[in-house]
Amino acid sequence: MSEKEPDTDDSTEPRTDGISEPEGSEARRAVRTDGGSDARPDGGGIVPQDDQAPTWSERKQRTQGLSRLTYEYFERSRREDEDLRRASDYVERDVLAFPTWPHEMIRNLAITSFFIGAMFFLAAAVPPHLPGPANANSTPAVILPDWYLYWSFGLLKLTPLNPENKGAARRPVEEPGWAALGVGGVVFAFTIAALAVKNLIAATFPIGNHELFDVTFLLPLVAAFLAYAVLKTMREGYMFELNRRYFRLRPPK
Amino acid sequence: MADEFAKGFAILTGGGMVWMTISAWLTTESFEGTQLIAQPPEDPGTYAQFALLLRDVTTWFVIFGVFAFWIGIPVFRELRA
Repeated sequence: MSEKEPDTDDSTEPRTDGISEPEGSEARRAVRTDGGSDARPDGGGIVPQDDQAPTWSERKQRTQGLSRLTYEYFERSRREDEDLRRASDYVERDVLAFPTWPHEMIRNLAITSFFIGAMFFLAAAVPPHLPGPANANSTPAVILPDWYLYWSFGLLKLTPLNPENKGAARRPVEEPGWAALGVGGVVFAFTIAALAVKNLIAATFPIGNHELFDVTFLLPLVAAFLAYAVLKTMREGYMFELNRRYFRLRPPK
Repeated sequence: MADEFAKGFAILTGGGMVWMTISAWLTTESFEGTQLIAQPPEDPGTYAQFALLLRDVTTWFVIFGVFAFWIGIPVFRELRA
């Protein structure tokens, strides 16, 4: 749209930018009394100084409270910034930052598109190897997970920590001693955790720090003793049931 | 200085991607076998021959490009300064 010959309905609106209007515009405006095809509720024809300027509805919302305070704060900082710019003779000081759109958005989209394009190219040109279906009937010679899980298999290979003979027991009741040790360990994990937050424990429960310290090491022993007693008592009946079932399946000759 | 690094890096990555693609097509035995640096096929066709030539070109392009931008040009500027 050229400056001299506007050919839209905006030409019927009063000019406020000081440019003289062509002859006959008064008469044409008098005909249009409905505000034109694009009537604007913010007093159309009043051009804001730039796209950063608030609209009239926005100004109306800033008359009181937090919105007024926020507005004044930003207005003051904007004014101070403007004064600094005017006082400064340093030319590059005028550019404080680039707007997000289009500069940074275009840059980010370009970087994203580049890497997505690289991934598409590699996926199409160098497709990854698709191995054949797994044969569940054959055990591979080397059993290993993916490389990032090697550490877990390394833990398994720490022989002193993982004795080969873990015992033949399938139920805790079959080995009450080892089961009691496990129970004590689990309880100790909780009590030592409670000792770590002893200030919270002291604030919540009527127990002093010394008592908590004693309980931390005594409670696992008590739990292990109780577990041993219960399992030892249960074991006879358990083994009896086991044997009964076994001999019911295979009666002695 | 950073521009020279970026140019050398672009040569390394761009040429390396072309080299890797052609090597995956033509000089890779299998997934379990030698990858990327295996022997090229005995009797390549015309297109494969051209691709292998392009592979050699990219190899020396990457080597000379990285050497020029990361070593040659900085050394030359240091000596001149």
